[in-house]
Amino acid sequence: MNVAAIVIAAAEPTLAQAARLLGAGLAIGLGVIGPGVGLGIMIGSALQSIARQPELSGDIRTNMFIGIGIIEALALYAFVVSLILLFVVK
Amino acid sequence: MSVLRRIPVWVWALFVLGFLVLLSLAPRGHKENFNVADEFTLHPLIKLPKVGPIDFSVTKPVVYLWMTVAIIVVVAIVVSRIMKRRPGGLQVVIETIYQLAYDGIAGSVMKTGIDSWFPYIGSAFIFVLIANLIGLIPLPFGEHHQLAFYAATGNLNVTIVLALLTFVFTQYAGIHAKGGLGYVKSWILPQAPPVLKQLIFVMHIISEFFRIVSLSVRLFANMLAGHAILAVFFAMALLFQSYLIGVVLQAGSILLYLFEIFIAFIQAFIFAILSAVYIGGALEDEH
Repeated sequence: MNVAAIVIAAAEPTLAQAARLLGAGLAIGLGVIGPGVGLGIMIGSALQSIARQPELSGDIRTNMFIGIGIIEALALYAFVVSLILLFVVK
Repeated sequence: MSVLRRIPVWVWALFVLGFLVLLSLAPRGHKENFNVADEFTLHPLIKLPKVGPIDFSVTKPVVYLWMTVAIIVVVAIVVSRIMKRRPGGLQVVIETIYQLAYDGIAGSVMKTGIDSWFPYIGSAFIFVLIANLIGLIPLPFGEHHQLAFYAATGNLNVTIVLALLTFVFTQYAGIHAKGGLGYVKSWILPQAPPVLKQLIFVMHIISEFFRIVSLSVRLFANMLAGHAILAVFFAMALLFQSYLIGVVLQAGSILLYLFEIFIAFIQAFIFAILSAVYIGGALEDEH
């Protein structure tokens, strides 16, 4: 009986709960647009410079990975915000 | 290495079969209610007393960190004992990792102070690499002692400590090289107009503190998201109750697992190279 009450209470969405879930979805959805575009531009220019000067491909690849790490961190900030909204905020 | 090549194929097949049989006999876990917050609470394995605000109990990430240290120390001692002039196998791997850390990370980014700061950067690289990789081996640390994945670096407490180490070493390197006042003065861009000068100074201070957040959250969120996606994919293979979808999703899960190994290497590399950039930036003379 207790379990049923908890399940029913969890299934009935209040405005705050709906807003929280909507915010979590928007956070991750809009948050990865920027890093996605940025990664595309960066890796594209890295590929172009490797095509221009193949002897520098090792250096370019190293710097490309640094750039990937920094840009993907931004997408992960959005992911962490969405996790906080889903699981930490009541 | 040559001993392994002489073992016939059927022995390997028997070994794999025996492992699968043992795996099927392993204890299973069962849950009635799934509460996500419970997945992340840590239960102490050895309960130790609380000294002030610090709880010294041994929990799962503590054991994983000890395992990381144990693996690194044992491999280092073994390799340093069996060093030969014409190296074979393990020594080549360790030398490759050392060369990657020295030339690829510290040498390619830092202009000065490579020799004095390489111990920290190399240690950070190896530690984060082994801690990430151990997180991909299922070990019996789940509840009811089932096999489960867990990454020590998937815990924000661990990564904040690593990021704080980089921060403290950056400030120490700058203050040691330039003196306290000289280091603070190096944050001011001399050829900027006066109002912008203060703004750049304040933004530099903020960005120094934000580096702790970015270093720790990058590593933590990468490992956490990787394991979460892995768990979802492995579970989805069983969820649809259809053999075809199960096989396809299992193949996809294996590809995702290989991608997670790649991400483990990349995140260790990025942590080390960003630490090298920050320490090198604090050491360099002209702005």
